[in-house]
Amino acid sequence: MIQADNHSAEPTFNLPEMLARVDNDREFLCELLEIFKKEAPPLLLSLQEAVSSENMKLVEAEAHNLKGMFATLSATRAASAASQLEQMGRGGVDRSGLRERLAAIEYELAALLTELNNYIAEETHEDSHRG
Amino acid sequence: MKILIADDEVMSRYLLEKTLERAGYQVVAVENGSLAAEHLCKPDGPRLALLDWIMPELDGPSVCRQVRTERAQPYVYMVLLTSKESKQDTVTGLESGADDYLVKPWDPEELKARLRTGQRILQLEDKLVEARENMRFKATHDPLTSLFNRGVIMDLLSRELARTSREQGCTTILLADLDHFKQVNDTHGHVVGDEVLREVAKRLLGSVRSYDFVGRYGGEEFLVVLNNSKAIHALPRAEEIRNAIANFPVQTTRGAIQVTMSLGVLPTRNSGSRPVEEILQQVDTALYEAKAAGRNCSKLGGGGVDLRGSTSEIHTAVDGCWE
Repeated sequence: MIQADNHSAEPTFNLPEMLARVDNDREFLCELLEIFKKEAPPLLLSLQEAVSSENMKLVEAEAHNLKGMFATLSATRAASAASQLEQMGRGGVDRSGLRERLAAIEYELAALLTELNNYIAEETHEDSHRG
Repeated sequence: MKILIADDEVMSRYLLEKTLERAGYQVVAVENGSLAAEHLCKPDGPRLALLDWIMPELDGPSVCRQVRTERAQPYVYMVLLTSKESKQDTVTGLESGADDYLVKPWDPEELKARLRTGQRILQLEDKLVEARENMRFKATHDPLTSLFNRGVIMDLLSRELARTSREQGCTTILLADLDHFKQVNDTHGHVVGDEVLREVAKRLLGSVRSYDFVGRYGGEEFLVVLNNSKAIHALPRAEEIRNAIANFPVQTTRGAIQVTMSLGVLPTRNSGSRPVEEILQQVDTALYEAKAAGRNCSKLGGGGVDLRGSTSEIHTAVDGCWE
């Protein structure tokens, strides 16, 4: 699997920005993250199918959907990887590097999901302590 | 205030929904452009909208175009949400009829500030529409009685006569004049005279159907147009109106004042190309006859008889004298 860049040590999503977006409501943030966890994998699957069939219109649409979700989470690297694939899909001609860029998204999404799971687990743990 | 959110992406839609609910908006959230257009085109639909650019069925700019075509009033303030950032995209979005756009991911404070701008514009629009409606009312209504003014009632009469000719129906014209009104003014003053005119106007309106027209023709003269009326009912209707004035004194600041009214009555059909002034001359003649006959009565124009004639005479007149 190919990494998008060499920032794997950095957080995959911008927590302070996300918290500001939800008015510091951590419970609501967890709700949103759960939605992401449910919605993102099927979108990736559709994107994988589109890339594999080289259906560039579909590549553009599916990458756009993923980019939107990543951007909402302030997951900048993942959003940037999805944006590159979206642009390739829009161009429709240059298919070289299509799979590599998909791999970058796969990598970022996997890392993001791990980080989100950790965050949710921490929050739940803290909640049970608070409770 | 009600606001519509249209976004096919669940997380983004939920985030928007909650953010705006917390800001005090009443949120309607939909997942595609067709549903957005449907809600926004309803007469009581939301007047603020946040529309994602790329959506299934109809994209954001297409929703804007449809709303601008189908719902001219009241104005809907629409903001496009987009991850598109090129100048051309901005121009395309705004030219589709959007008022503003926000780049995703949006900042909550900026989002709320831009929506407040939208609300200010909608409030300004409401004030302008209200001012325009007030001006329109003033331009078409008599300031004292709030009845149609002379110009408008004449115009309505012309249209009604044309429609009646086309559809071979019948329109009854009543020209009503308060009896000895000058004495009311001379005895009680113009302020009381005005009170009497206002009350008479109210009673006239209360005596006709919602689709009839009542206008102030002159000082104490009123023109009543009874649309789609049968000729045989012309005199009885005129009498009902006369009784509505004569049967109860008008309560004024100077006490109760008894007033009566004389009426010229003309049911018309097939007026053809005759000028409305010529037709009104016939009603005016009938009114003059009512005055000459002792006032507080109704007289048929066009060779008719007054109410004091026998029933058979009236029917003969009704059946035979118009046009």
